[in-house]
Amino acid sequence: MLLNSVVLVLREVLEAAVLVSVLLALAHNVRLRRHWLWWALLLSVVCVMVYSRSLGTLTEALDGAGQEVTNASLQGAVFLLVLPILCLCVAFPQSGHRRLLGALMGLAVTFAIVRECAEIQIYVQAFSAASDQARAVWAGSALGAGIGLSAGVLVYAGLLALAPVASRRVCLVALGLIGAGMVMQGTMLLEQVDWLPQEAPLWDSSGLVSEQSFIGELLYAVLGYEATPGVLQVTLYGASLVLAVAAAAAGRKWRISRETTV
Amino acid sequence: MRSPGRLALLLALAMACLPALAKTPVFELEIRDHLFQPEEIRIPANTKIKLVVYNRDPTPEEFESYELNREKVIMGGRKANIFIGPLAPGVYPFFGEFNPRTAQGRVVVE
Repeated sequence: MLLNSVVLVLREVLEAAVLVSVLLALAHNVRLRRHWLWWALLLSVVCVMVYSRSLGTLTEALDGAGQEVTNASLQGAVFLLVLPILCLCVAFPQSGHRRLLGALMGLAVTFAIVRECAEIQIYVQAFSAASDQARAVWAGSALGAGIGLSAGVLVYAGLLALAPVASRRVCLVALGLIGAGMVMQGTMLLEQVDWLPQEAPLWDSSGLVSEQSFIGELLYAVLGYEATPGVLQVTLYGASLVLAVAAAAAGRKWRISRETTV
Repeated sequence: MRSPGRLALLLALAMACLPALAKTPVFELEIRDHLFQPEEIRIPANTKIKLVVYNRDPTPEEFESYELNREKVIMGGRKANIFIGPLAPGVYPFFGEFNPRTAQGRVVVE
């Protein structure tokens, strides 16, 4: 039970921690103050409570597709928030539109961590109720969360250690990849409930990098890594990356037109 | 009001719908004492199926499979629908993420 709790919580925390770290590093880089993080965390706690309490009902909604549709919507929303974040960070690297940027980042963090944290909450609440397991579940979960958060801190520190321009570029690229990964995961969820057709996998790279390995999990968190993706998943992933690049390019154009008018 | 023509049309419509319904076979699975019952389900190759998982335990479970690309939380005493396939022949393991030591199963596609 101890090891299982470590693995389960680590998996969930790692996914959210990578996105939060990249956003925090990017915020630092573009001189955005961190108010947004605190209200986002508070909002997340409320959303986690509501989500985990209603998950049973939610799962049976929409003819049994409720859970997947909700999760895919959350992931789609994160991607849709990433686009204006990319655009604004490129267009206004020093100042301007800071309140809007903070709001977008805060919402992205909230949407990204609700599902992960709700899963942890459902697990810990259910299995710590049995007294013989309580200690193992709590200790394992704390350990898993600790390792996941440490990985997040490491990513954050690594991004800050880079030169400012390089750091911003890496953050922007990472954010685009994370957003596209979210779209891919959401696609898979909709296939699970037959809202989208499932196709034969294009390739199988599980022999190269297993999804169950630590590297696989990390790649999943950063790139949405999937060992056996279908045509639709790969297409939507590619389209999302194109949109992310377009958002950044629009930001660049905006910045240049501002600089020439000033 | 009920002309034979309309009745025939209704019948024809119903007949047309039947194959569509029959196309997605349903397979059932139970979670009991953190075990999947049965542990193995055999499904036809290249066919989409609907898997209905009943969680008979009071505790939640997460149906998870890396090979099938599936994950779904099933609260205690509830059920969940999961569509699988069409798949190539092979063995696709799945497990309960909340109790992975005991809750293990596999989909055998043949």
